[in-house]
Order: sequence, then C-alpha cells, then structure tokens
Amino acid sequence: MIQAHPKFAVVGHPNKGKSSIVSTLAFDDAVQISDTPGSTTKRQSFPLKVDGKILYELFDTPGFQRARRVLAWLEKHDVSADKKHEVVQAFINEHKEDERFRDEIELLEPIMSGAGIIYVVDGSKPYGEEYEAEMEILRWTGQPSMALINLIDDTNYVEEWKRALGHYFKMVRVFNPMEADFTQHLNLLESMAQLNEEWIDPVKASITLFKQYHDQMLEQSARTVTQLVYRSLSHVERQSLDHEEATVEEKETIRSNYKEALRRYEQESQKKIEKIWNHDHLQKVQESLLFEGMDLFSKESASIFGLTRKELLITGATGGAVTGVGIDLLLGGSTLLLGSAIGALVGASGAFFGFNELSDVKILGQNLGKKYLEMGPMKNLNFPYILLNRALYHASEVASRSHALRSVAKFEMGKSFTDRWMGDSIRKSLEKFHSKFRSGDEVKAEELKEYESLILTALKNIID
Amino acid sequence: MNLTSYLDLYELLQEKKNEREENRAFGLEHVKYKQDPVTQLLFWIKKHTSRLKRPLMSETFSSYLYSMTLTLVIIAFFLGFFSGLGLLSYSGHEPVNVIYFMAMVVLLPLVTMTLTLLSMFRANASQSLLVHISPAFWMEKMLRFLPKNVQSSLQELKINPLLSNWLIIKRSQLLALMFSLGLLVALLGIVITKDIAFAWSTTLQVSPKEFHSLLHTLAFAWRDVFPWAVPSLELIEQSQYFRLGEKLDTQMIQNASKLGEWWKFLAFATLFYAILLRFGMWLLSMFGFKKALKRSFLSLEGVSTLLREMNEPIITTTAVEEKKNVVPQGSHYMQEVEDLDSSYDRTLGWAMSEEELRVLNDSMQVITPMAFDVGGTNSLEEDSEIISKCKGEVLFYVKSWEPPTMDFVDFLEELTRGVDKVILAPMGTVEDAYLPKAKELEMWGRKLQQISSDKVWLKR
Repeated sequence: MIQAHPKFAVVGHPNKGKSSIVSTLAFDDAVQISDTPGSTTKRQSFPLKVDGKILYELFDTPGFQRARRVLAWLEKHDVSADKKHEVVQAFINEHKEDERFRDEIELLEPIMSGAGIIYVVDGSKPYGEEYEAEMEILRWTGQPSMALINLIDDTNYVEEWKRALGHYFKMVRVFNPMEADFTQHLNLLESMAQLNEEWIDPVKASITLFKQYHDQMLEQSARTVTQLVYRSLSHVERQSLDHEEATVEEKETIRSNYKEALRRYEQESQKKIEKIWNHDHLQKVQESLLFEGMDLFSKESASIFGLTRKELLITGATGGAVTGVGIDLLLGGSTLLLGSAIGALVGASGAFFGFNELSDVKILGQNLGKKYLEMGPMKNLNFPYILLNRALYHASEVASRSHALRSVAKFEMGKSFTDRWMGDSIRKSLEKFHSKFRSGDEVKAEELKEYESLILTALKNIID
Repeated sequence: MNLTSYLDLYELLQEKKNEREENRAFGLEHVKYKQDPVTQLLFWIKKHTSRLKRPLMSETFSSYLYSMTLTLVIIAFFLGFFSGLGLLSYSGHEPVNVIYFMAMVVLLPLVTMTLTLLSMFRANASQSLLVHISPAFWMEKMLRFLPKNVQSSLQELKINPLLSNWLIIKRSQLLALMFSLGLLVALLGIVITKDIAFAWSTTLQVSPKEFHSLLHTLAFAWRDVFPWAVPSLELIEQSQYFRLGEKLDTQMIQNASKLGEWWKFLAFATLFYAILLRFGMWLLSMFGFKKALKRSFLSLEGVSTLLREMNEPIITTTAVEEKKNVVPQGSHYMQEVEDLDSSYDRTLGWAMSEEELRVLNDSMQVITPMAFDVGGTNSLEEDSEIISKCKGEVLFYVKSWEPPTMDFVDFLEELTRGVDKVILAPMGTVEDAYLPKAKELEMWGRKLQQISSDKVWLKR
C-alpha cells in the first residue's frame, strides 16, 4: 500500500501511559492524562506538520477493553496467515456500530489503514497473562509493530516484560515519557522508522525537522528573554503633574506603577515562553512558575538570583572601566589610563550605593509645558541579573519539562543555578549590554542580536 | 520606505493580532524577498493597512508634521527676511557694515553646521544635548496646543530615539535653509530697491590686504568662475570705514557707486555658505534619516517576530482538536469491607495462576472449598463454566494495579447474577506484600461506582 505519510498508532492496555507517550512525542500538554482507566474514549490524531504538510501522524487510542471477545471472534475464522488481516477488517466492518467494541474499533481502525503499532506496557508492574489476547490481536493485523516499556513507577519488571514481549514484537524499547530528554525522543523516532523501510526517509526528515523545531524554540526563548531584559531595563514610567512639587502619594504611585509594569513584563514573557514550548496549560494546573511568594523585588529573589555585593562591585567597576577606556582612547592614551581607573572607581561606588535602589523619581518638564514625574530606566545594577536568572531558570525548566507531566512542578532554586551559566567573562559581556539598555539610548538591532546569542548560549548550557 | 510606512507598521504591530498562518502564507507568496526584509515588510504593510482604524496614526502624525513644518518654514523664512532687512538697513548717514551680514551668512552657518555634524554622530542617544538645543525640538513641544484627541493618539506613539533625533536634525536643516533664503531675498530685494553703500569696519587691527586675503579664501568656491563676485583690494581699501569723525571719508564719497559692488560678494557668500552648504547638510540629513528609518524599521518591537513568522516554516505537532474527556469523579465506594472473613464459598483470581491464588488465600488466611483462576488466558466458555459453579459469598482477588477492563466488568455482572455477595479484593504486588496503593483502591472504587451493584463489596 502506498502511503502519503507514516502513521503510528499508540495502543495498549488501559492506563499504561499511552497518552503520556503521545503527549511527549507530540510536545503537547493538552493531551488529557488520567489515572482513571478508560478516560480516552476516542482516538486522537497528532500530526507533525510543516507548513500544513503532514510528515508523520501519531494516534492516541483508547485501551483494549474486551480483547478476549475480539480474539475469540477472530479465532473462529480458521484462515492462513496471509488472510488474517482481512479477518480483522471484517471484524471492524461487522462491529462498527456495536457499542461493546467501540474502543477496539477506535484503536484497530488506524492500524488497518496502515499505521505502525506502538504497543505500550508499564514496566514498573509485573507482566500478566491478560495481555496476551491483546498482543495476539495485534499480530492478526499483520502491521509492523514495536513494544514500548514505559516505567510509570520506581519498581522495575523490565526484564520479565522484555522476555514476554519478545515473543510478539521484533523491537522492544524502554521509554520513560516523564524523564525522556530530546535525544531519547529522537532515538525513539529513529526506532519507529525501522518498522517499515518506506518510513525511514520521511521519519529521518521529521527528525531533522524536529531538531530545527527545537532550535527554533530555543532561539525564540532567547529572543523573549532578551526582549524582557531590554524592555525592563529601559522602561520609563511617566505620570503627569499638575503642580510644582510631587506629593509623597504621587511618588509612591509612580514607584508602584513602575514595579507593576516590570512584573507585567516578566509575566508576559513567561507566558510567551510557555507557549513557545507548547506548555500553554501549565499555569492552569500549577502556580509555582509564578514563583509564588517570591516577588521580583523581594529580598529572597535578590539573594537567590541576584549577584552578591562583591560580585556587583566587580561588575560595576568593569562597567565603569569600559566607559573610562573610552575616555582614554578619545584622548589618545594621554591620561595614562587614568580614565579607566576613575571609571572603575565611579562604577564600583555606583554599584555599592545602587544595590537596593531601582531608579530615581525625577520631576521633569519645560518652561512652556506641563511637568511630569518620571521613573526609570532601571538604575539598580543587581536587577538585570535577578531578572535574567529568573527568566533563564523559568525558560530552562519549561524547556526540559515533559509534556506528559501534569503534576505541580517543584522548583528547587538555589544560588548554584547562577554558577551553572554565569562565569566572569559572560558577566562582563552582559554588563556591557545592561548599561547600554539602562542608558535609554537607541539600541541597534545588531546589539540585541548579540545579546540574544549570549542568552542562547547560556540557555543551551543550562539545558544540556 | 518612508515615515508613513514606519508608522503604519508600528500601528499594525501594536494590534498584536495572532496570525501566524497568515503571515507564513504571505512569506511563501513573497519568498523572493526573503533576503530583503524591508521590501517584504513594505508589501506586508500594503496588504494589511486597510484593517487599521481611520484616521491612521501615520495620517494624523504626517498631517501634524506637515502643518507644523509649514508653519515653522514660513516663520523661519520671514525671520530670515526681516533679519536681512535689519542687517542691511541703511539710513544714508552711515554705510552698511558687511561684517554683520557676513557673520550671519558665513560664520553662523559654519558653526551651526559643525554642531549639526556632531549631533549626527550622536543621533542614537536619547538625551543628546545637541539635538535638544535645536529650535525644531522645542518648537515641537507645541504638540500640547493640538486638539486633545490628536494629542492622545500621538502620545501613544513611541518613536525610536534615533529616528526622532534624525527627524529633528532634518527639520532643523530645512528651517535653517528657509532662514537663509529669507536673508538672500532680503539682500536682493534691498539691492534692487535701494542704493546701499557697503563698507567694512572692525576694531581689530586688520589691514585691507589681510581682509582681502580672508575674503579671497572665503570665495574659494566661486572666485575662479565668477571673479567679479570677489571684492578687489582696491574696493576693500576704498570701503574701509571708521566711525570717528562722524563724516564719510572723501574717498568713499568719490567711489560711492563702487561701494554697492559688495552685494555680489554677499549674495554669493549667502548662496554658497548659507544655502548651498545648508542644502548639502539637508541632503545629508535626509540620507541619515533614511538610514535611521531603515534601522528603526527593523528594530521595531515585533518586527523580528513578524519576519520569523513569514520566513520560518510552521512546525506543529499538537492535536488539531483539543479533546475533552469525561473523567469520572469520586473515589469512595459505598459498599466497603475493612476485613476479610475466615472462609468464603468460592475464591476467584482475575488473570492469576492457580498457584498465585493459593498463595493469596494462605496469606489472607482464607479458607475456601473451591478456588478458580478466571480471565487471563481462559476462554470465555471456561469462565462461564466457572461462574456456573459459583454460589453464596465469593472472594474475588484482582491485581490492584491493573485497571478493570470491560472484559472484567462483563464477567463480574455475569457472576453477580448467580451469587449472593462478591467481595472484590484488589491485591498489590508481592514486593508490596500484597498491599494495594491508595490511588489504586480509589481507581477500583470509581469503577465499582459505575457498575453500581448491591452485591459487590470492595475490600479496602
């Protein structure tokens, strides 16, 4: 049979993690996963599409419910091996409207229309003889098949399962959808391609595309984090003023509006990243990603994600020195590098005093017109690191989170996270950009691109 | 690409419409412009401008800019014209000192053009002092005198600082050009309508020869082509004027007709320094503005996403339709037993071997006259035969971790027709000492709720 694209039906006993596997392979957290058997009642298609063209298609199917009855019907027909698949088709045709076999029909139909079989079992529970009827039915279909041992719990019965499955399937693989990383994901796809010679090329093309897709997601995340840092650091909050001096309340309002805007930027950015990685449903079931109780401006946040006072002094000095070097260069070095030294000193003291401050509240205006209160751009040297660490932490957690997980994510954050990606050299490079973002000057697209590539490298290092 | 397309793109991107598929389709249609993002964006703007609300922000801004510029241009022209009239005002008692006029048409343009060049280098700074001292910048603050609705629509507009700086620089050059034209018109007008005696006068110790040399240098651009537009040494000597004595030099009076010759030099100086060079600066500022526009165009927030959406393939792996499954609620089955009795009429094991069943009975200390393994590899007929042998109270072992299938439910329903009571006992694995996990018991509880038979009891 000539097929438009390879298809794979994920089948098995109820509640053995079929939906989890599909969810992981399809990067889709919308798949309903439940510990109640029979929660999947209709098969669902998960096509891998590129510009609308399907490269391969996965089917999530309901579990076998009356396998013994189906097998009994099939075995009533004494036919040779080459006719067995016709008997299965005859069963489907005869029982299409029969409510009792609804689940079996749902799972057999894609197989009979050419889908490869991926039979899923739970390797953390002992093998049982009740599986044999299901495996026998699948053998009757005559379609290429493989078995996937999913480890739902900690106990391990993999060897016993391998021995049993070996009688029915040529290929048996262990795959844990909750913990599988991207490489394991691609390895599984490669195994699936081996089921049928004709599928090797399209699945290989899909693997290449998946890599491209993964790179796209990483790049988009880096771009989102870059935008967040740039927007937050350069943000200026304005409030018009009807009188000469601002009242305490007015100053407080602008401070709180300023903080609120930055919080909003962070939330928007997090949502965007969750969308990029197809974790749209994450927030519905968990709030931990909002770093509950750990506000952007809280002390906890600063102590975990920010730089220490010492690191800040070094960072500030570096930033100042860079400016100073500019002066030295301008004056042809006749300052005997005094510019750098003074710059470093000014930068360091700025860092020291700017540790807890965010930005000044200024009253601006001109003689002709109205006055207004202004807060921003960000002055605090520690803030970009707090923001960046939080953003990278969130992005890396979302990127490596399995789409099969429905539990509340536990984030165990620590100072060590910063050490995973930020060395002295990257901090220096970042600071150069942070001071540019803070200046409010025009930031060229190329500069943002350069910053983005720093973030991308950091993100890749964290995820790897 | 112009300011209008920039503003249209800005407004379209502000809409934040999610149209990934549409953008990709557009990208595929215009794939030949993939390497030319600006052209691709211009086509995109053309396609989508119709969906924006009228009046367009670009129309409001352009019309505001046009009327402001026109007003300022007229003001600058008349300012130049009247300044020229003032500088050239001649009462007949004293000749007109050309130094004033030269300062206005040579020195002032040279100084302001130098500042402009510096501001061009610093145009990317949002707080460039050089840009902010420009009259055009402050005049622009007249925005607040516009109607409120126009003000509010323009206040939302956040133009890239680089672009707004170049806009100011460009406009300043145009104003300066108009001012200079005003000066030239005033000069020509006065020359035509009056006879003016020009002279030069300074407190500094400058000899006519030195002054001639200075003027010769200043006239470098036209002295070879129009030598008559450069004052001769003789004219300079004749037109040197000292106020002391309150009388005109007799030599000057004798050469009165010659003193008017200065106008040619002044006209050419105005034409070259104040107009031609300024025109050059204006062209330079237009070039800089174009470059800034292109840069700002590509650095507008949302542009990189838009270009990516147009030029990167859409890869989707997710389901076309989100499925809503009905998950049964509840976990507590009403008919539950805490402990097992010491004996039952029959014991059954679902998908268990006879040996496993015996071990389970021993371990639960249950005595039974007959024990059967059902389900599993049994045929349906074998199961029916076992059911026919069952009566009274039945203890039915099931594997707690295996979810009850409809095959099991069918069996249970058939079984309950012939017996008085069924105690369903989910058993854990050997490793767990046959103890079922709480969530497994909940799963069995939910399933039995669905079956809802008063003969079936769940062992917790």
